Amino acid sequence: MAKCDLSIVLDDPQGVHLSGGKITGVVKVQIDADVECKGLEVKSGWRTHGRGNVASGTAGTMTLFQGQWRAGETQEYRFELPIADWPPSYHGYYLSVDHYIDVRAKIPWAFDPKASEPFPVVANCEPEDAKIARNVTEIKGIVGVIVTVVILGFVVGFCVMLAAAGPFALFLLIVPVIGSIWWFFRKFLPKYLLGDVRFDFDAEHVSPGGTASGQLVIRPKKNVPVNAISLHFRAREQCVSGSGSNRKTHTHVFLDTQETIQQATTLTAGQEQTFPVHISIPADAAYSMELSDNKVIWSTTLRVDIPRWPDWVREIPLPVLPSGKTGSSKTNPDSTPKSTAPAKGGSESFGTPQAIPVGVMLDDPSFEEPSQTQITFEETANHIWDVREDREQVEMLVDAVSGLTFDLQAEIERRLLYAGEDDANVYEDGYAVWARYPDPDLPLVLYVPHELADEFEQIGREIWRGRGTIVGWDGLHGRLQIRVEVQ
Amino acid sequence: MIEHQRGEMKWLPWAGINLRRNPFGELSPEERAELAVVDVEPILARLSEQRVAVQFIGACGRGKTTRMLALLKHLPNASYTYLPEDAACPAIAMGDPILIDEAQRLPRYVRRRIWSSGISLVLSTHRDLRRSLRRSGYRVTTMRIGNGNTPSHVCQLLNRRIDASRLHTGSVPSLTLRAAECLVSRFGSDIRAMEHHLYEQLQKQVEQHGEVRSFDCVG
Repeated sequence: MAKCDLSIVLDDPQGVHLSGGKITGVVKVQIDADVECKGLEVKSGWRTHGRGNVASGTAGTMTLFQGQWRAGETQEYRFELPIADWPPSYHGYYLSVDHYIDVRAKIPWAFDPKASEPFPVVANCEPEDAKIARNVTEIKGIVGVIVTVVILGFVVGFCVMLAAAGPFALFLLIVPVIGSIWWFFRKFLPKYLLGDVRFDFDAEHVSPGGTASGQLVIRPKKNVPVNAISLHFRAREQCVSGSGSNRKTHTHVFLDTQETIQQATTLTAGQEQTFPVHISIPADAAYSMELSDNKVIWSTTLRVDIPRWPDWVREIPLPVLPSGKTGSSKTNPDSTPKSTAPAKGGSESFGTPQAIPVGVMLDDPSFEEPSQTQITFEETANHIWDVREDREQVEMLVDAVSGLTFDLQAEIERRLLYAGEDDANVYEDGYAVWARYPDPDLPLVLYVPHELADEFEQIGREIWRGRGTIVGWDGLHGRLQIRVEVQ
Repeated sequence: MIEHQRGEMKWLPWAGINLRRNPFGELSPEERAELAVVDVEPILARLSEQRVAVQFIGACGRGKTTRMLALLKHLPNASYTYLPEDAACPAIAMGDPILIDEAQRLPRYVRRRIWSSGISLVLSTHRDLRRSLRRSGYRVTTMRIGNGNTPSHVCQLLNRRIDASRLHTGSVPSLTLRAAECLVSRFGSDIRAMEHHLYEQLQKQVEQHGEVRSFDCVG
């Protein structure tokens, strides 16, 4: 049985909070027996729940108390914590996101009592601050031609090798042949009739209640009759559970509309024809989100229906993002546009404006490529720590500092029996250890040369000090890879 | 049968039944370990001996990984590695013992390196690794996972998940033994399939009626 009970009372339990703001309240501790508390830790953050693998983020942490509690006492501790900038609260079918205040009392030799209190958060950030992938640029122009030639060359070479190996090996061609047939019917034939078809939205994103405008431009090579040009607009939750052979994708479509933007007509050869496209986004629409294995995706699919010929089809993502910051840090729940997304399933989101960039943004002009004289390991570790929840940012940052050598210290955790794919970084007769930089608590992999093996064995789990060169990032374990140098 | 209380947090869809989320969704590894209904003591006793290997064999969804995570919680010096199906073998840290999930995927040369270390092992696997372990001098204990997923066990572990999703003190919905029997007769020992079924059922009930009347196994 726990020696104390924890509860959380928010100052404004009915209030809806703005992301990037502050939340205040009290942690109440009711003590049943004398106990030493190693730390009463409270933190604010968000977590996903639903069918996808859990993603989470921490906005702030405080230690409210350390010391002795006496039986029969009731203690109260005030807290003020930041609210994460992104994502906002969201309640859908397969995906939900909630913000929480979590409190845990660290009790030696006993289970740690804990409590958790959810609170609603609406987005209060600029669209650029919402962490979602932007439209992927297609490989075009000369680069596209080169890539195509290389792939074709590879396929032809592969076929020649197979033919030389004997007729039985030809069954290996099934996959490339099916791929080629798909490409011929889905890409080549529509393009053969329609020529280059362009479709772009005027803006990269749209906000709830807004309208996304764009245009479809077609200049056919010959006269082409079309049954219709239609637009299919969908919003879906896409969550992945498990991993490896247990990996499963769950999709729930919560908005699905279709409209015809051009009835049956004939497109005239050589003449550029423009079809304006306007899509109205519901005022209560859920924002686009990408939270590891949990996504909310808005997309448009355009289809040019050609009689007795494969249709031209293209899917284009249309991110739905907050429109910008509002002012105050808190809002009345009654005045908040809480909404159920139209259509089956009903996804509920708290939409309204605003966020703040986390850590170093590499496209920020104030961020300069570090040089050996400018940056210490501590600064590097701090930069990586600040963006640790954004793998793309971490990898860009690590790329920028790879090859730099630093004086550093690390708390040794444990030796590796096998260093994984990155065994290549291990010195001959050397080995690898997992370690941590003391502050911030950045996980490291140290590749130890044979000459220092004894020194590392003797250190045990103590602090090691020396020099090392950054060689990469272990994305699987979230560790900075460092080759230790012999001094 | 369900008892429920109405909460004041109207913005939270499950507050009406005193839950903060759908209890049958995915859990974090830490929470899976906390909620596991596993008797770890016999395994811990076995692991106190030298050069032993415990292997959990069973089909997907029966509880092998949950067992590993529950054990890990009791073994502060252990290391845990999950081997993905379609990626290279990840780093494997020293530990006492070493826990390897999906151990049948260990490449031969990595397996040789680990077996030769002599460190006690806990393996979850779809394939019996007893012979190669014994050749390396290990004493092997094999546990077939899934046979113990009886209606009463299922009832206990699913109700534990519901309780862990509790919003505040007070009653929460519960799964009856009869419903658990029905789930077992429909899904066998596949706990994951039961959870998926109950997730859909609860989600639909909350969205359609705003309340949960009962958990059963009618699809």
